[in-house]
Amino acid sequence: MPSLVTAPLDTLALPRPCPIALSFQSVTHRYGSRVALDRLDLDVPRGEVLALLGPNGAGKSTTISALLGLVRPQEGRVEVLGSDPRQSVAAGRVGAMLQAGSGIGLPPGVRVDEALGLVRRLYRRPAPRDQIVERANIGALLRRRTGRLSGGEAQRVRFAIAIAGDPEVVFLDEPTSAMDVESRQGFWRMMRAFGDEGRTVLFATHHLAEADEIADRVVVLNHGKIVADGPGATLKAAVATRRLRFVLDCPDRADFSDLEGVTEVEIRGTCVSIDSLDADATIRDLVGRGVRFRDLEVTGAGLEQAFVTLTGCRAVEAALRPSPPGPSPSSVWLGTSRD
Amino acid sequence: MTDLSIAPPNLQDPQSGRSSEDPVLSDSWRSRLRPLLAFGRFEVGRLLRSWKFLAITIGFPVIFYMLFLGDHTAGKVVDGTVPWRIYLMVSMCSFGALVAALNAAGTRLSMERASGWARQLRITPMPAWSYVGTKIVASMLVVLPVIVLVEVVGAGFGDVRLTATAWVELTVLLWVTSLPFAVLGVFIGFLVTTEAAFPVVTGLMFVLGYFGGLFTPVDQMPGSLQFVAHLMPSYHQVSLAIASLDGHTLALTHWLVLAGCVAVLGLAIVWKHRVEEARGLA
Repeated sequence: MPSLVTAPLDTLALPRPCPIALSFQSVTHRYGSRVALDRLDLDVPRGEVLALLGPNGAGKSTTISALLGLVRPQEGRVEVLGSDPRQSVAAGRVGAMLQAGSGIGLPPGVRVDEALGLVRRLYRRPAPRDQIVERANIGALLRRRTGRLSGGEAQRVRFAIAIAGDPEVVFLDEPTSAMDVESRQGFWRMMRAFGDEGRTVLFATHHLAEADEIADRVVVLNHGKIVADGPGATLKAAVATRRLRFVLDCPDRADFSDLEGVTEVEIRGTCVSIDSLDADATIRDLVGRGVRFRDLEVTGAGLEQAFVTLTGCRAVEAALRPSPPGPSPSSVWLGTSRD
Repeated sequence: MTDLSIAPPNLQDPQSGRSSEDPVLSDSWRSRLRPLLAFGRFEVGRLLRSWKFLAITIGFPVIFYMLFLGDHTAGKVVDGTVPWRIYLMVSMCSFGALVAALNAAGTRLSMERASGWARQLRITPMPAWSYVGTKIVASMLVVLPVIVLVEVVGAGFGDVRLTATAWVELTVLLWVTSLPFAVLGVFIGFLVTTEAAFPVVTGLMFVLGYFGGLFTPVDQMPGSLQFVAHLMPSYHQVSLAIASLDGHTLALTHWLVLAGCVAVLGLAIVWKHRVEEARGLA
């Protein structure tokens, strides 16, 4: 390789600076006629913890599969750490915790330490064993058989396996789906600490509160497109959904559904509740029609409401309603509820 | 593919990333082999510690051998010249290899694919083919002791006397010709669901065994069944083994059929993998 010999020494010794860890450039992927990713553009800088949010079938898993080279998109370009995903995987720079299908995603009939030991040996530069054990908090599980782990324990072991190769980038596809609230919180602490070491973390979730709390940045995906992108708070603000509440004698739904900016109308007795993308216009419209409303109240909608608006997913909203009003918002689930 | 000339930059110290003095580069051959050896050891170790697997792979051929031994009649011959006791032992070796290979890969592989473990291994630096490759090698490794075990039973109870050279030749030949079973086991694991895997494997054990002439010599079957038998790898494996014991030349046809089985099943695995990859399931 003569070009390497003649190149200045500096360019050899210093790796090219690569501030972008993950990059999608106009990526489209279809399964048959179903579009999973629709001209997706996304850049994730190194060291960012990013939540990928969206209902089932939004393209979250396909995004992660493409980042791992398991799926080769028909159009566009995916890069991980500046090279082809498969190259980054082969170089041992990527770790992932994918959705377990049936079962727990671990080989049956072996002890936890054997499975972990195997995966470590598959990497040229694995993380030190004790470090993995401590990070994933699996010290007490090492001698256990994989078949005798609870859902939460198995997820911890799978997290240990995901970070066994000391990866620079980690992908997690709905990692907390099989966990109870307590182990879920422990898991996110673990993952946040991992991200704080300067590693890039991308996780898919249905779980809005967690995305908001854990991630530096939240990307909302629907039908393979990004519908919102930003910090959780910005996301809320960006979606100007407001809820108008007022009292009216004999309200009629038909009077409100065609108001300007309205997305949702709810009537309970004399109480009218309207969700609007443009509260000002809606109120002007109400006044213009001569509606004699009383006790008008305008509030910002929650992130859940923002999400519903963004994805236009009514089923999601319906799934949200029965959730009990408790101090912990982490009991709120989106998409198909598993518990 | 793996480009080992590019060492991943160290996360903690990005400045020390690419270095031509990297010791990993100097023994890339060993560093390529190490994961495969680790995975192979892991797989074989798992099999040898599974009571269910050991019970089936040891139990079936040995018990069948013992049952058929009761049928032993002095002077009974197969194919005109082959003594029944020899034919029986070779058949039971073949049956043992079939049982071991199908059970080693089939059920487990199907389960691992469904649970996501196979996928987890695919996103390690281990090359993509090595999952399937190691499964086949692991099956072959557990097939060998089963063949030897049946031979020991043959020598001890089956009245089979051979020279040391003949034993070695027979063992190697039976082992090498078990490759189609190992590939078949992996294919079953790719093809069927976890629930179906065990019954399919068990069914195939007896179907391939029976039609391959392992329980009833092929020359004693009705004509139409004889035709089917000639398509079975077991028949060709046993024929080669018998021919070698008789000192006959090993007919090319048998080798070709066995190689054909391996090729067809191998292509079927590749095809199934491609289909699943296109659907995003692999």
